[in-house]
Amino acid sequence: MKKSLLIVPVIAVFAGVVAVQSDYVPAFATVINSGSLAMPGSSEPEADTGIDDQYDVAQSGRAPKTRTTTPASPAPDAAVAPKVDETALRYFARQGDKRRLEAEIARLRALYPGWTPPADPSAVAPETDTALDAMWKLYAAGKLPELRKAIQLRLTSEPQWKPPADLMDRVELAESREQLINASDLKQYETVIRIGSSHSSLLTCSDVDLLWRVAEAFARTNRTSRAKDAYGYILDNCPKPEERLATVQKALPLLTRPDLEALLAKEKTTQDGAREFDTIRNDLARKAVADAGTDPKLIVPPTDLERVEKLANDIVEPSDPLILGWYYLRHDDHANAEKWFKLSHERENAPSSSQGMALAMIAQSRPAEAEQTIYEWRDSSDGAKAVYMAAVANLLAQDPPVDIAPAVLQRMVPEVVEAKDANAAQQFGWYAFLLNQFETAAGWFSTALQWKPDDEPSSYGLVLAREQLGDMAGVAEIQRLWSGKSERIGRLGELRQARERGLVPSPERFGTRDPDALLPATQPTDGPAAAATPPQTDPAVAANSLADRVAATIARTSVTRPEELQSQTAPLQTAPAPSRVRPSRQMKASGQRLPAGCTTTLDPQTISPESALNRGWCLMDINRPLEAAAAFERGLLSRSDAARSDAAYGQSLAYLRVGLADKAAVAASKARQQQSRQIELDIALLSSRATDAFTAGRYNEALLALDQRARIAPERNDLMVLRGYAYMNLNRLADAQRVFEAVAATGSKDGLRGMATVRAIRNKEY
Amino acid sequence: MKRYGLALTMLAILCSTTMAQNLKAGQVRPDDWQAYKSRFIDERGRVIDDANGNISHSEGQGYGLLLSYLANNKADFDLIWSFTRTEFLLRDDGLAVWKWDPNSKPHVTDSNNASDGDILIAYALALAGSGWNRNDLAATARTMVGAIGKANVIEQQGRLLLLPAVTGFSERDREDGPLVNLSYWIFEAFPKFASVDNTTDWTRLSKDGLSLIEAARGGQRSLPADWLSAKTTLRPAKGFKPEFGYNALRIPLYMMRAGIADAGQLRPLRQGMSPDGTGVAIVDIPSGSVTETLHDPGYLIIPALIDCVLDKKKLPASVTSFRPTLYYPSTLHLLSLSFIYSQHSECL
Repeated sequence: MKKSLLIVPVIAVFAGVVAVQSDYVPAFATVINSGSLAMPGSSEPEADTGIDDQYDVAQSGRAPKTRTTTPASPAPDAAVAPKVDETALRYFARQGDKRRLEAEIARLRALYPGWTPPADPSAVAPETDTALDAMWKLYAAGKLPELRKAIQLRLTSEPQWKPPADLMDRVELAESREQLINASDLKQYETVIRIGSSHSSLLTCSDVDLLWRVAEAFARTNRTSRAKDAYGYILDNCPKPEERLATVQKALPLLTRPDLEALLAKEKTTQDGAREFDTIRNDLARKAVADAGTDPKLIVPPTDLERVEKLANDIVEPSDPLILGWYYLRHDDHANAEKWFKLSHERENAPSSSQGMALAMIAQSRPAEAEQTIYEWRDSSDGAKAVYMAAVANLLAQDPPVDIAPAVLQRMVPEVVEAKDANAAQQFGWYAFLLNQFETAAGWFSTALQWKPDDEPSSYGLVLAREQLGDMAGVAEIQRLWSGKSERIGRLGELRQARERGLVPSPERFGTRDPDALLPATQPTDGPAAAATPPQTDPAVAANSLADRVAATIARTSVTRPEELQSQTAPLQTAPAPSRVRPSRQMKASGQRLPAGCTTTLDPQTISPESALNRGWCLMDINRPLEAAAAFERGLLSRSDAARSDAAYGQSLAYLRVGLADKAAVAASKARQQQSRQIELDIALLSSRATDAFTAGRYNEALLALDQRARIAPERNDLMVLRGYAYMNLNRLADAQRVFEAVAATGSKDGLRGMATVRAIRNKEY
Repeated sequence: MKRYGLALTMLAILCSTTMAQNLKAGQVRPDDWQAYKSRFIDERGRVIDDANGNISHSEGQGYGLLLSYLANNKADFDLIWSFTRTEFLLRDDGLAVWKWDPNSKPHVTDSNNASDGDILIAYALALAGSGWNRNDLAATARTMVGAIGKANVIEQQGRLLLLPAVTGFSERDREDGPLVNLSYWIFEAFPKFASVDNTTDWTRLSKDGLSLIEAARGGQRSLPADWLSAKTTLRPAKGFKPEFGYNALRIPLYMMRAGIADAGQLRPLRQGMSPDGTGVAIVDIPSGSVTETLHDPGYLIIPALIDCVLDKKKLPASVTSFRPTLYYPSTLHLLSLSFIYSQHSECL
């Protein structure tokens, strides 16, 4: 029997040729295949199950299996009765190993077309070769080294014995199969391909796992067309639905989309009309959308997006909407992103959907909701913690600043301290600053600097807070440290001169200018990763002291006592005197104690407009302008024109005090003002606008505002200095010189300093 | 004097070529082999290092193959080879992975090789291929020998070096690289290799190895360290104890088995490792102090072999009979006894 007759070259999966088990189905095998018919002569199903179990165990471990390649060749003349080695056949029959018996009969029929299998292979037991039986038993159990040893032992003890060629072929193939699997597990892909190429008879539909491993080896060694051929071979030849499906699934991460489409084209339609790879198409669409969720440059075919959206709606699982959420987030469609994250979140409250939702909310400027959403998952991963910190920072940095519920503030504090998040600490600083809690602000800025020593915005916050606290030595120290590195810190004194009293900077202007700095980058596939590595946890002592301090401050100022609420809502509040101007100054001047009626936090919407107006002035007195602005807002609803005018005036002043000139202007226009007040407000607004524009480096605008102001009021020395520096920054040195000279003429040191600066610049230039 | 020594060395290599090729099966006694394998080789053909968490390594599989060949036990050879082939011979470059751990899954977690293990396996395969007329084994041996030369033998400063492994020891991998371990030169294998593979100059690798051993001897006791940096002049490698240890103590055994009987090389080793012959010393090279003294007969037989080869002294009775103790000394013991039986029965 010539070997070449046995090999049927079918496809060139390998450099060589892969022989294929062709699909001949002898009638006999069909009978065995078609049902659970016991094989001829075998009458004990119970015994069969035992054997099958044993077989299965061996399969999952290291059972060898082979099929000799066979053609569907026409029978040569059957006249020559070949000598057929039936030992394996009889062994498997006696063992009740139906699958192997079947395979062996098929193999022998193909080898010897004239051969008829014995009617009862298990009954026919000619001279029993127990030693050979034992060898087959070792083979069936996958004990290959033991089998090798047994063969050699017999060769030594019976030198005339010849081991059956079939046995030797099988043990060699089985060893190669082991070697291939082990090499594949160890990612030794060249070895896998080498063994596969030289043992093509291993690569058949009866052992699809090996084909998968070889295909993977091709794919992993940049031979994707070979990999595609190998997967395609399985789809062309192997009938088992679950193996076909698994084949495409295995190809999914390894092949390109066009190659996968080529494989999918080999799809069969099942009897009930379903297409067998529909689930794969779903997975492909999911993968495309998921990939684009990590890489915004990727373009997703609309059909894929539609398919995934349909899946997300049809299948009540959290995963598909999650994929869509990340996709839309990455493609800056935050509303859609939120919608899908929300759907996922409704189906399962999980870290990833919560993170996504929070990011979408932050991107839509709703940090309070974001904080609320991610809070419970903040410790689930570094990414979740980063998102939480971003929510905190954004919440604190909102413009205009908002009231934050005390409970939320209190839970944010320890998180920031634990995460050592310098940015969030800085935002806490600004937030406290705006509440005029300068000591707390200084504490937060210092903390931020501990975590990020070279942080200019935090240093700037600290220097401003120290200035407010009258710590001039502390101011000087920071100015020294930042000398030459930060203009705004260095020139703080000059700016202070130029600034109307009571104005404080807003975080929008002095805090982190880059809005993106507050948003963590997202890595959606595995859940968002940290934008920056969250800092390590601090020793508990330091954390507690700071946390306690801030929490205590916040608690002191924001706990609402019921009895106060009562008194605030009481109807017998006296209406404010419309003529009242700057009551705080009067009271402070007269040494009176600050009124206690507004030290607690309450929602102005719950009190009458008149009470709110009173409360607004009260809050202005204790320098809590943000809350005052809210109270005046309520006061604007008053029925009295005078009260409405008063409220608008108060709100405008309040916004001016926190440095929100634009808002102040809007507020001033909310009700008619007495002319004197209108002028006063205009002057203040223009002053504020001038300093704002100057601080933002928009010197022409600053000059414009100063000119407008000069038309309605004489220019104060501090504003003249500002004007001088504005000229200087615009390189209008002569104008600057003239202005500084005028200021200096009044005896102002600032004027002299300005002159000196102009001179220095000129000396440098010429 | 030095030249003279070198000439002697060359002569010895010439001798060893013939000797190694004549290495016949049947030099390990059946009883000894039986005792060895029942202790260290399981029913699947895995050679177990029982002093090392019962792991296996390519060196052990190589020793097992070599000893079973020397015991002329084809059945055990095939047993060990089947396991070795399917579980170790997995690397893309045709070499064996170095470590197999029964307690990890998969059993092989590190795909690096160990060149001494590869040499032992290839050598045993080559011996069995020619000694037993097994073409399959001879073919695999040829492939492996080619792969060893290609992946592990490098030329550096005009000499051939054997890298301990493909990964981790080269000039590229370490600041003080390349590193060498002189006990990885299994001298008796190189003539055999030269007979099946001419892409690497195995004779030169052997000769350069002997020069390295001579050059590496240092410290008060004039001994070589296990792990050496060959970056410039040989010196103990960073990150390894600078000691004459369990590795290096087999160097004289490998030399003698290869027929190298150069007194200029062997006598200092003999003196350094066991001045009075009662124990084998693990020596801290810089200080010359003894950190550990070994008394297992598998170690003790090595200085005794040198006495036999150089001075025709008889072996003490304590080392002439084999009883398995631990995998490593017992392996050295059988290799030593097989050498005595075949070459120096007068010392028994």
